[in-house]
Amino acid sequence: MKKYVTRRILQLLVTYFAFLTLLFVVFRIAPGDPTSMYLLEGMGPEQRQATLERLGVDRPLHEQYVNYLLQLLSLDLGESFRYGTAVENVIWVRFWNTVLLMGPAFLIAYVLGIGIGAFMGWVRGSAKERFGVIMTLVARSSPEFWIGLLLLMTFSFYLGWFPSGGMRETGYEAATFWDRYLSLNFLHHMFLPLLTGVIFYMATPALLMRSSMIQVLNSDFIEIKKAEGHPEYIILYKYAARNSILPITTVVAIVVGVALGGSLVIETVFSWPGMGREMVDSVMHNDYAMAQSVFFLMGSVVIFMNFVADIVYVFLDPRVRYE
Amino acid sequence: MTTEHTTETDAPPTERDDHMLEVDDLRTFYHTEAGDLHAVDGVSLTLDRQETLGLVGESGCGKTTMAKSIMRLLPRNGEVVSGSIRLNGVEVTELSEKQLREEIRWTEISMIPQTAMNGFDPVKTVGRQIVDVIRRHETETPKAEAWERAKELFENLGLEGSRVHDYPHQFSGGMAQRAMIAMALALSPSIILADEPTTALDVMIQDRILRQIKDLQREFDTAMIMITHDMSVVSENCDYIAVMYGGRVVEFADAETVIKNPRHPYTLGMRNAFPDISEDDQDLVSIPGSPPEVIDPEEGCRFAPRCPFAEEECWEVTPEPEQFPDGDQHVVECHRADEAEYLRAEAEKKETWLSVQEGSREQRLEELEVNDD
Amino acid sequence: MSTDIRDRLDATVEGNRRLAKLSKDAGYVWGIIRGDTLATIGVVIILGFLFLALFGPMLAPHDPGDNLRGEDGQLLRTDSPTETFSEGAYLGTTNYGEDVLSQVIVSVRVSVFVGLLAALIAVFIGANVALISAYYGGRVDDVLMRIVDIAYGLPFLPFVIVLVFIFGSNIWNIVFVIAAVLWRDSARVVRSEVLTQKQRPYVKSARAIGASDLRIMYKHIFPNVLPLVGLYAAFAVAYAIIYEASLAFLGFGDPELYSWGQMLFQAYHSGAIRFAWWWVLPPGICLMLLVMAVFFIGRSLEEITNPELRH
Repeated sequence: MKKYVTRRILQLLVTYFAFLTLLFVVFRIAPGDPTSMYLLEGMGPEQRQATLERLGVDRPLHEQYVNYLLQLLSLDLGESFRYGTAVENVIWVRFWNTVLLMGPAFLIAYVLGIGIGAFMGWVRGSAKERFGVIMTLVARSSPEFWIGLLLLMTFSFYLGWFPSGGMRETGYEAATFWDRYLSLNFLHHMFLPLLTGVIFYMATPALLMRSSMIQVLNSDFIEIKKAEGHPEYIILYKYAARNSILPITTVVAIVVGVALGGSLVIETVFSWPGMGREMVDSVMHNDYAMAQSVFFLMGSVVIFMNFVADIVYVFLDPRVRYE
Repeated sequence: MTTEHTTETDAPPTERDDHMLEVDDLRTFYHTEAGDLHAVDGVSLTLDRQETLGLVGESGCGKTTMAKSIMRLLPRNGEVVSGSIRLNGVEVTELSEKQLREEIRWTEISMIPQTAMNGFDPVKTVGRQIVDVIRRHETETPKAEAWERAKELFENLGLEGSRVHDYPHQFSGGMAQRAMIAMALALSPSIILADEPTTALDVMIQDRILRQIKDLQREFDTAMIMITHDMSVVSENCDYIAVMYGGRVVEFADAETVIKNPRHPYTLGMRNAFPDISEDDQDLVSIPGSPPEVIDPEEGCRFAPRCPFAEEECWEVTPEPEQFPDGDQHVVECHRADEAEYLRAEAEKKETWLSVQEGSREQRLEELEVNDD
Repeated sequence: MSTDIRDRLDATVEGNRRLAKLSKDAGYVWGIIRGDTLATIGVVIILGFLFLALFGPMLAPHDPGDNLRGEDGQLLRTDSPTETFSEGAYLGTTNYGEDVLSQVIVSVRVSVFVGLLAALIAVFIGANVALISAYYGGRVDDVLMRIVDIAYGLPFLPFVIVLVFIFGSNIWNIVFVIAAVLWRDSARVVRSEVLTQKQRPYVKSARAIGASDLRIMYKHIFPNVLPLVGLYAAFAVAYAIIYEASLAFLGFGDPELYSWGQMLFQAYHSGAIRFAWWWVLPPGICLMLLVMAVFFIGRSLEEITNPELRH
């Protein structure tokens, strides 16, 4: 087990290093003059030179690369042109806003998805399963923005039950951190974007759990557990679901990746001031330092979650633990 | 429950009450889109304590369905449609699902799957699974005591007691098989159903485990139903053998009779496929074709399409079970069972079996007419 | 000379046999799809959209960019179907007075094109990576699988947006960028299937008679993993369509082309989303139907590749 974890940590480092390099390459060696993207219109020649020097983009690439790594690792994310201030002054609030929306969306989607998938596997062949599969496929076929637009049109514009966007009422000033995120007003604003995420992200774990469940239920040991005289619900939850969950954990990280990407769309639809919307806006407005930082944060989260999922798997499956 | 059979003496002893397990004219169907599949179609059997009954036949002949019907552990579309199963005087077919769980499954009938390793939940220790089943049925047993019993069972089977804390994948095939047997014995059941219990193991271990089972059967006063397609396994380990084909028992007798003096052509064919039973230096021949899926049973013998000895009568009249005095309860369902000497001699020739062209009833009947000319 | 003829004869026989097997396999797949109501619905929907993709521009009642005017000469600005029906705009108009129906019909092309081409490229890369990685194993496998891991570390949509922005929002770039991210799924899954196939006796016997690595990989192993490749191709089509639409909705679509995502982008940003259901529902529903149809067929393919699911 120690060997396995050490191996995973090494792999994590390699993957992360490669990710950082790719990030550098993508943002620096883009076609065209790479320095032009750091300059704003209306700058004089001296001003341009000063900006380039300040950012270090006039130095040779390998030097830039080393600088870039050192900066990122010390979490110095550079300066945003659009905000005229250090990226870190803006991005952490955005980061938490996104985590507070997508985190719960992801968790609820996973728990519900696994529950529904386990149920569909259990009642396989019945009308209930058929209905469940069709509904899950429909949810999976609807891009987040389409679900979001439908919810927005129905519950906000038509019924008027929920606000159409933002995180809280305009003019509402939160006194403390807890006040900011735990107020009813915040939850009221959060409901529709959260629901959008839950509907879309639920489909993958549900369908996977269903097929995993069907395969586990076909295995010999379930037959033995039935022969042992355990009631059905014990077999479903204690034995079948417990074993079916194994393959689901390996896709946790993938779904986290999809969910973080989805935050771009959901936050745009509901004007949620998070990382995703920031990413779209900063790319639109050539704010490369900001775009790169968001990308860096998102990638870091996904890679870290990948690692966590691998470690969790070890604890869930003794066959790997005692390898 | 376990002692009930000894106290049940109020009623005058009849033939029916003599045996621990009595299956009478059992029919188990699978409801499919094409119609009802007659997986078990009128089977009667008896079994007593410490005895071992071998259920032999190719896959698809209904032996597994037969065994699972006894503990009523059938797939969703399976149903015991008629007949009776009496275990220690209790009519199993009339029990509710809850009663089955509490009074029959594992307490009275336990089972050993084909590959023991797959019979355990891979993510729980073996001991934990034995403790779970003990405490499921004996809720008042403290955990520590259940663990003690699991260890004792392990030691009974010649496994180290401390290995109860291991996960299934940490056992070798033979050890997993022993652990499975330990689990099957945990509640001292009346019957153990063993589905090809040793086919996954090599011959040496297979032998040792089978002998161990025999000893434990005596110690735990347990009967066993052994399902297999391997005639050599049943010949050494069973007291009685029931040969199944197309959902029916086509031949039944004590093991020696079925092995040495079979009368049914199907038994003869099955015997041919395993060399070490008869000493003759014969060719290994398996019976061409495969067992039928009986959906709308027609009149006639179900083996006729594959039988080298089929005559017109075989196609037109379903053979009735007929008793023969040459063995203990020797019963055969074959029109030509009385020609056993001739059949045995012919069945040893390879050509006999290769000559059979499987075909429809009409084709085969036509062929018969041509041959008659 | 004679061996030459024999070789050619053999090749013909072999070819015929393969053709026969292929048509048998196709018949088998078709049989399963026919037996599955959902998959049949999927096939019908997809055929419908393919037809629109081919003949859409001819079928659209108006030029999608035309600014329609009423009898009074006024621009038909975001008008509902009840008001514009008489003008031939059966599904209402956009804020520029464009015909919604024509835009929806013309947009089919982009989704179908991106969906098919991106999926084809993605699965082509993925299957080859899988074959090479699993077949050669060892170091090759390590390196390729690390690359797949890295691909999994990239948040999908942000990566696509950055690439599209750097390379420019034209449809070819969108196709390549989506393919560049989607290949990872098929690579990972097909690899593990190739690993199992590698252990099968037919690979050993092919090696024993001296078949080359390439021949074993593509002639022997590949046909056996084809169903799985097909399944992941179906998934890739669905995801490519979803991601193209998402890109367009975020404003990174090809500005030259009409697409459903772009229509919704325009509806959203013009504020028409508050009331103009006739403008929002048609593109969204079409998008959902098309992706759903692909998933319905995918479900059937899943049951072919994994018979245990067929219960």
